[in-house]
Amino acid sequence: MSQPKEIFVKTDRCVGCLSCTIACAVEHSKSKPLFGAISETPVPKSRVYVQWVEPEGKVPLVCRHCEEAPCMYACISGAISRDENGVVITDKDKCIGCWTCVMVCPYGVIGRHLEEHKAYRCDRCPDREIPACVSACPTGALVYDTVDSFSGKVRKHASRELLLAEGG
Amino acid sequence: MHPGSCCWQKGDNVTEEKSKYIIVGGSAAGMAAAHTIRLHDWKGPVTVLSEEPDTPYFRPLIPFLVSGKKCAEDMVLAGCGPYTGRDIFVRTGARVESVNTAEKTVSVQGNGGMAYEKILFATGSRPYIPPEIKGTDAAGVFALRTLAHAKNMAKRVEISDHAVMLGGGLLNLKGAFALLERGLKVTLVVYSPEVLSQLMEPEDAFLIRKALDTAGLTIKTGCSATHIIADSTGVTGVALDSGDEMSCQMVCIGKGVRPNVEFLDGSNVRIDGGIVADRYTACNAPDTFAAGDVAVTFEPVSGDRIMTALWTNAVEMGRCAGRNMAGVKTAYSGTFGILNATQVADEPFVSMGLVHTTNHDFEVYRHATETTYRKVVFNPGGTRLIGAIFIGDITNAGLYRYVIREKMPVMNIKRYIIDHTLHYGHFVTGKN
Repeated sequence: MSQPKEIFVKTDRCVGCLSCTIACAVEHSKSKPLFGAISETPVPKSRVYVQWVEPEGKVPLVCRHCEEAPCMYACISGAISRDENGVVITDKDKCIGCWTCVMVCPYGVIGRHLEEHKAYRCDRCPDREIPACVSACPTGALVYDTVDSFSGKVRKHASRELLLAEGG
Repeated sequence: MHPGSCCWQKGDNVTEEKSKYIIVGGSAAGMAAAHTIRLHDWKGPVTVLSEEPDTPYFRPLIPFLVSGKKCAEDMVLAGCGPYTGRDIFVRTGARVESVNTAEKTVSVQGNGGMAYEKILFATGSRPYIPPEIKGTDAAGVFALRTLAHAKNMAKRVEISDHAVMLGGGLLNLKGAFALLERGLKVTLVVYSPEVLSQLMEPEDAFLIRKALDTAGLTIKTGCSATHIIADSTGVTGVALDSGDEMSCQMVCIGKGVRPNVEFLDGSNVRIDGGIVADRYTACNAPDTFAAGDVAVTFEPVSGDRIMTALWTNAVEMGRCAGRNMAGVKTAYSGTFGILNATQVADEPFVSMGLVHTTNHDFEVYRHATETTYRKVVFNPGGTRLIGAIFIGDITNAGLYRYVIREKMPVMNIKRYIIDHTLHYGHFVTGKN
């Protein structure tokens, strides 16, 4: 069985262009194309966030779909569960907007949809092969890959750097 | 098959006389433990003995049954969220009368005994009915705790115009809103100077109070009920210590809860208010564990022994107990006495950790706008965050909880905490 893929973040590559947030909001809009999406009410929400850290760090943040997902266990209405792909999903119909998940998420990546009075988060774009934020990222700061493959590439890169530093 | 029992199947290795794991109590802690045991021991029989007539459900949802927004089927726990484990045998209507920890047996009311190898006490708590209030046994007096209570309450709504809620805690506020939605006039009688006194100080609550007033709730603070007036139709009114009398058809008591420990009378399990659990959720008798409202645990910041009555805490402790019962030794990280998030009226709020600061030398920062309020509390030296209240804007509340719980040194992030601009990026880059 193939390993599920995850969204990885390379903070050193992010230039803070916010393409990911726009792509995410559009993907989660009713009309889908950008021009339709921006005229919707309520305005479609992005589930990926780019935070700025002084002096010039940009940090894209997206739901990690944690293994021991605190939100899932804290939810008082049974609205949060994990699907067969390992994606932690919030069932809008069951969500009562009590914000307990917001209170326990250590990453701050669960949003509050004030118009609908529901919590929302990354759903890894179930209708797409590659999540919209990853497709939209022009610098490769967001990577959609399996844990094994991604960590393998990180190791390879580190080894190469090490060899270079040693003059190899 | 016992009358009133449910989901009870007789398998090859499951008998009605014996189960490897017995869990007393079928709510948050008990069911979290049952499902966690299943993750680590996929075949050891797990039997949950629940005294309630209903199959396990999400207790925090019961006000929605009163308001009519949800029906009982919408609240069923099995199969929702993380509660997807298989082969968990739930016996409803099964009240455990006593436990013999030497012989490792429990006695179930009207159903004889049952043997266990490991047992979890997760009997939860029940509403506290202050004995100084007379007449609380009248029809139409409720203390909302179970689905059965909620069903009765929903029925009483049909013949009521006015409900009086005694106590200004979260449960009563949720109940009050459910009744407002049903079109009743609702009066909240609060002994404390302000609502939600367990979760915040009076000056912290002004935005919530404003929202409650706007929503149409009548609130009387600084007074309490002395007796409930009733006739053959049930409640007809409430008399207050101020000398006032209010006519009403319904009374709801929300004066806190008491742990259900009586079934352990005569056993050698140590009780000190609740059931005393060690760092590994174990009790003093062999192979006994405790979790949830009934357990005495500790507060991670102060180290004090505490009991809480919160769904989220109960699930967390129940999961830990489940791991320990299945042989995966796991320390419990303790629990905040205060850890609440919710929305009352249109006002979202979070209150967590140590937030009662009057007469303490904590370092406290408050910030108020027309629509938001926050209070962040540091230890007296200002080196650690120990509590926080956010009202109106609860963005990233989870990060603050994390900072409190992990006792993180806050030197580099303190101004973000005070300004409520903390985000996970501050932890990632190291450039904070």
